[in-house]
Amino acid sequence: MKTVVLVKQVPDSGAERRLRDADHTIERESADNLINEMDDYAIEEALRLQEAHGGEVTILTMGPTQAAESIRKALSMGPDQAVHVLDDALAGSCAVATSAVLAAALRTLSPDLVLSGAESTDGRVQAMPHMVAERLGIAALTGARKLTVGGDGTLTVERQTDEGYEVVTAATPAVVSVWDTINEPRYPSFKGIMAAKKKPVSVLSLADLGIDPGEVGTAGATSAVVSHQERPARSAGQKIIDQGDGGVKLVEFLASEKFV
Amino acid sequence: MTDLRYGELEQELRGTVREMLSAQSPPEQVLARCEGGDPYDPKLWRTLAAEMGLAGLAVPERYGGGGAGWREAAVVLEELGRAVAPVPYLGSAVVATAVLRAVDDRALLTDLAAGAATAALAAPFATAPGPPTDPTVRAAGDNLTGTVRGVADALHADVLLVPTGDGLFAVPADTPGVGRHPLVTLDLTRPLCDLSLAAAPGWRLAAGPESARAVAAGLTAGAALLASEQLGVAEWCLDTTVEYVRTRYQFARPVGSFQALKHRLADLWVEIAQARAVARHAAGCLATGDPDTPVATALAQAFCAPVAVHAAEECVQLHGGIGFTWEHPAHLYLKRAKSGAIGFGTADRHRATLATLVDLPG
Repeated sequence: MKTVVLVKQVPDSGAERRLRDADHTIERESADNLINEMDDYAIEEALRLQEAHGGEVTILTMGPTQAAESIRKALSMGPDQAVHVLDDALAGSCAVATSAVLAAALRTLSPDLVLSGAESTDGRVQAMPHMVAERLGIAALTGARKLTVGGDGTLTVERQTDEGYEVVTAATPAVVSVWDTINEPRYPSFKGIMAAKKKPVSVLSLADLGIDPGEVGTAGATSAVVSHQERPARSAGQKIIDQGDGGVKLVEFLASEKFV
Repeated sequence: MTDLRYGELEQELRGTVREMLSAQSPPEQVLARCEGGDPYDPKLWRTLAAEMGLAGLAVPERYGGGGAGWREAAVVLEELGRAVAPVPYLGSAVVATAVLRAVDDRALLTDLAAGAATAALAAPFATAPGPPTDPTVRAAGDNLTGTVRGVADALHADVLLVPTGDGLFAVPADTPGVGRHPLVTLDLTRPLCDLSLAAAPGWRLAAGPESARAVAAGLTAGAALLASEQLGVAEWCLDTTVEYVRTRYQFARPVGSFQALKHRLADLWVEIAQARAVARHAAGCLATGDPDTPVATALAQAFCAPVAVHAAEECVQLHGGIGFTWEHPAHLYLKRAKSGAIGFGTADRHRATLATLVDLPG
């Protein structure tokens, strides 16, 4: 089975993140950039399927030059190779444009299975797996907490929902997105770190994919951020000094906020 | 001349180990394990040794090892020191591995590299490298009898490497006749035990001078790389303290803005920078089999142990009241620094060795 894992480099969600004033895009240079947490689980799932069923695992990333770091990190976990879509014109791409680029890159790879994290910790839109599947005209099994591959190549997914889970199936090729309940990602081994340095990473530009630069990036974005402002600092709370009427005042406050 | 800088591969290795330890063995979890009576964390060891393949860093590739060397193992030890991780890396992946490399024991090295077993050298943790002392275990044929006190990383070891007057023996730790008696130790994260052998059957790994050479190789590797663990302990203490004095406010300003604290931390930073240089030098010499290894090892041990203790003491002091509580992990680091200061010989002893090695007039 040929698996492609969509990996996105994101700013560390544990650290403070900022938007640039000029174009309202995220400040990537100063941030500590990591592999999107949920994508680690997608890579792990791809490697487990490879160990059970054979085949090859490819990492696909669209991102600026420094995304190469995350690609190496992903490869050190064990995938065979990577494709990096790198083009200055991509900066500021919206989700719709990104899905077009990823779909074009996926067509050149013709995978049986596309795995990705269910969401990215920076965008949190959860739409990319659906969009990519729609563009490729293949099934999207999203939000998986369990994935099994049958003898005939049928994919069965336990789809996590608020109430419990749904069991859905599809034939390959298909897109499957996963939550962090699906497995426990491995840590790169020393040999994995060494081997990652020798693994092939092919870099594709928009021209290689036959995409017009005007359709992507800030220029081709279907949505635009017009302004942003920082979350206001938390203001000091209101102190209630109990002079026999503390309880009443508390309830009055809760009632004024419509909690009671 | 050893290159003291960390290479790209070493940095990546460090990042991976640090990430794993901060997720799998944060200080509060180490403390909880110590309170539970047995700090040893078998799951952590399995991840580190088997999954990440770090127990075999210094084992040759032909035996399934990482084909790296002592420099890389030193980086792992820095991180293990930073986390006061209760795993037998120093005892098994360094000391026992160095002993087994010296006698080229394929079977045991293969098991150690795969993380399938751990081994410990049956010598007191305080044994300094140098002229061999009289073994406290005697062999009658392949049966060993005697006592070894204060052995580190042996409580959960699968195989004991026992020096005797009649050569070096391997003894499976679960063999009848082997007793392991845990000691009450100051350092909770590196438990020690007394070993008692009563006609315990083993097999000979080496005889005569080869045996002494193997033991010396193990002790030298342990002493040289303990310095890296001490460096990690000291670094954690400094980093944690700096973070604390920046966020702890008194008189409407961070306490770190007071010169009395600032200067103490600056001095510590300088000490740690020097400790890093000597620890890297020792690991580098050991890795390349440099003839200067005994000098580099004695220097690293004479220098790094006091730095780790000083850093841990400053950490406790500059944290104020919270630094003296059981709940704050500072005491784990102070105790690790104190036990490390005795491990493989005290700083005094290493200074005396160094004086002889560099021909200082007595």
